[in-house]
Amino acid sequence: MLKTVKSKILAIAIFMLAFLLIAFACYGGVFRMKTKQLMLQNYIFAVDTFVNRLNEKVVRLEDNSEDLALIGKLAYKTDKDIALTKKSIKNIFENYDNSLGGGIWYEPYTFDKSQKRTCLYIFRNRNNQLVFDESFASEEYDYHNRSWYKEIKSKIKKEHDTAWSLPYYEEIGSETMMITVGTGIFADGKLVGISTIDWDLKDLFAEIMRMAPIERGFSFFEARDTIKGSFALFASKADDYIIVSNTPYVDNLALTGKPLSALPWYRDNLRYVTYMTYHGKKYVPIVKDIKNGMLLIICIPKSEMFTDINKFVFMMLLILAFLAILIPTVLYFGLDRYIIKPIYILMNIARKVSRGEDIKIQLNKPEEFAQLASAFDKMTTNIKKITMDREKINNELNIAKSIQASSLPSVFPPFPDRKEFDIFASMDAAKEVGGDFYDFYFKDDQNFMFLVADVSGKGIPAALFMMTSKTLIENLSQFGFPPSELIYTINNKICQNNKEGLFVTMLAGIINLNTGRLSLMNCGHNQPLIKRKGGSYEYMNLDSNMVLGVFENVDFNIYETEMNPGDSLFIYTDGITEATNASDEMYGENRLQECLNSIKTIALNKISEEVKKNIKEFTLDYPQSDDITMLIFKYNGQAQMKEMTYKDKAVIENYKPCYTWLHGACEEWGLNEELKNTLDMCSEEIFANVTFYAYPFEQGEIEVYIKNEYNTITLKFIDSGLPYNPLEKPDPDITLPPEDRPLGGLGIYMVKQMAREVIYERIDDKNILTLIFDC
Amino acid sequence: MEYSIKPRGEFTLYVKASGRMDLDSAVQYGTAVKDALYDADEQITELVLDFGEVTFISSFGLKVVLELYKHMQEQNGKLTVENVPEQIKNSFKMVGFDKFLEF
Repeated sequence: MLKTVKSKILAIAIFMLAFLLIAFACYGGVFRMKTKQLMLQNYIFAVDTFVNRLNEKVVRLEDNSEDLALIGKLAYKTDKDIALTKKSIKNIFENYDNSLGGGIWYEPYTFDKSQKRTCLYIFRNRNNQLVFDESFASEEYDYHNRSWYKEIKSKIKKEHDTAWSLPYYEEIGSETMMITVGTGIFADGKLVGISTIDWDLKDLFAEIMRMAPIERGFSFFEARDTIKGSFALFASKADDYIIVSNTPYVDNLALTGKPLSALPWYRDNLRYVTYMTYHGKKYVPIVKDIKNGMLLIICIPKSEMFTDINKFVFMMLLILAFLAILIPTVLYFGLDRYIIKPIYILMNIARKVSRGEDIKIQLNKPEEFAQLASAFDKMTTNIKKITMDREKINNELNIAKSIQASSLPSVFPPFPDRKEFDIFASMDAAKEVGGDFYDFYFKDDQNFMFLVADVSGKGIPAALFMMTSKTLIENLSQFGFPPSELIYTINNKICQNNKEGLFVTMLAGIINLNTGRLSLMNCGHNQPLIKRKGGSYEYMNLDSNMVLGVFENVDFNIYETEMNPGDSLFIYTDGITEATNASDEMYGENRLQECLNSIKTIALNKISEEVKKNIKEFTLDYPQSDDITMLIFKYNGQAQMKEMTYKDKAVIENYKPCYTWLHGACEEWGLNEELKNTLDMCSEEIFANVTFYAYPFEQGEIEVYIKNEYNTITLKFIDSGLPYNPLEKPDPDITLPPEDRPLGGLGIYMVKQMAREVIYERIDDKNILTLIFDC
Repeated sequence: MEYSIKPRGEFTLYVKASGRMDLDSAVQYGTAVKDALYDADEQITELVLDFGEVTFISSFGLKVVLELYKHMQEQNGKLTVENVPEQIKNSFKMVGFDKFLEF
């Protein structure tokens, strides 16, 4: 699937895209988490700062309360100088300008036995001046029964104890909501009064309001806006009440003084809670203890808290995702355009060039591909040139091959009027021009020479050497040398013409056609096969002489034998015996002998065809590596001719005397039983045909003529009936199943199979049918 | 040519011929065998032709063999040959009878 460069690059681009997307997503997640942690720490730090400031104030208030208690104690114990005491009190408040007011309150009849109430209260008026208010000592106010007084007094057990009151609304004097801190004044182990400092809740409220919408402390952000919807509570945990709150959902005053448990979201473990839900909104609670045991809870809406960071992270991820898509895409299209497209162009052109189209490559960029293209162009031109050269050489070689082939006699029979012998030869060249050849000619009227030769080597040198050798042998053979002298001369002449060290193997025969005397010369060649009349092919055992063209002045042994009428000789080159099949087996001499002996036909060209067919069946598709050359010579003996004629009425009943006559002829001439039957079958068919078709209406005569000449039987049927050519009948299809086969047509089909030749002629209103058989 | 036709078992007809089976005699031989097939008491399912003593067969003889074979085939029977001499075997082969006759 990922076979092409293009698909591979695409796969890498997709992988890169996925990888970058995952990497950026992880980075975004981690970044968001870390930033959130950092932000939260920043909030906590801001709250801590605020709590520290608050603590300082609480300590200061408590310190002041204690200082006042000390002044109260001194005043009680010493001379009870009111003016001096007032001065000391004023001094404290002058040094500490944040408090609303405060004072010293004595128990009934302790400071002054005559007076139930003695108090020294100072406060800051509207003009920011410290003024003592005497009205608190009035019966009407009756401070001893005020809630704050009773509360603080009940909480104080010993000297230096400091206690805080619940928030309360002071309708007299300041007319504000406040809480009061107080310290007991002890004298001689007995509580004689308390000192108090008022803390205007408006002041605390303002403080909380000031810090509650916490300013975002990150310099990171440009927009320094506040967090909307956050709220804070200031509460006393020990007494379980809310001192002040700025929750936007509940009226400030309505919640003040209520227990913490009135808050639906409040839990004791709030400081360990990451967020809580209130009015359907998530808040992050920050819980802080104040030094006097009070509690500050600041709740920041979660959504608001991280809005910006979420937005920022989202934007960042969007940009990164865009980059993650952009980078592989740009990479892919870049590679596609500058590498893959040029490759495809080159590929297409290569394909066209290989189909033989003449194409120049148009590719100017990128530089490397332009160079490749021009190199490619050069290569194409060179290949074309080489191909053309090779074609030219091939053409010339083919011409050479056909010249070589045409130099061998190829018309058979070559001497139709010489009935003393039959000859057939063939040379099937291997791919290249080769060195095999055969030849035959009359040395004189009686002596006939035939030969098969094989020049060593292949190609043009062998072909040229073959041509010279062939011409030389033919020329020399015309001089009337006796065989031994002829071969001696041939060898010397070839040696003189042989500078390249080539050589020729040759098997040549010279026969006297009158006597049948045969001289055979074997010059390093394969042994020929001889078939005596009525026998089978046997390898001859000739003395093997030196090959031709190597050593000069060498004597050659000549093998002398007789050929009788009907004897055949088969001469061949090693191209036959060394023909190889796919499993590297050679055809060999035995196969050749078996093949020759299994062949029924006696027509020489058919024998040659059968041998070639047999070799082909052996080698199958394995290429032919050497020339295959063979020559068959059959001696028919001296001219002799016998003939007989039979003439009678063409009627069915007359066939019996006809075949009786035919049998007589066969026996007289010594023809074998098989041929006799064949002649009988054929003549019966023709005889019947003449009776049925040539004379359908009236009887007529038939003349049968038989001739035996040079082992060839000629059988002629002549009648004067209607024109009738049995050869026009189509052949029956003998492969059909019996039910589909017609009954007729078998006879003439058999005649055509058995006779070597069947000729029909219509001459002088006569049908003449000639059948020719080999003996 | 001479021939003898006799039943072999209930459903088999055995024909032994001798001499030349040619233009002169083949038709006669064929007709005689066919008549014997018709005349048989039972439906003949196998026809056996013995060629042991036939010395010669021409195309007319071959034609009769084919005719008889087709005839037997139509009757859902079969034709077999026996003792076929080499020379007649060659003639059978030449006209493709070896495709359906075993000899």
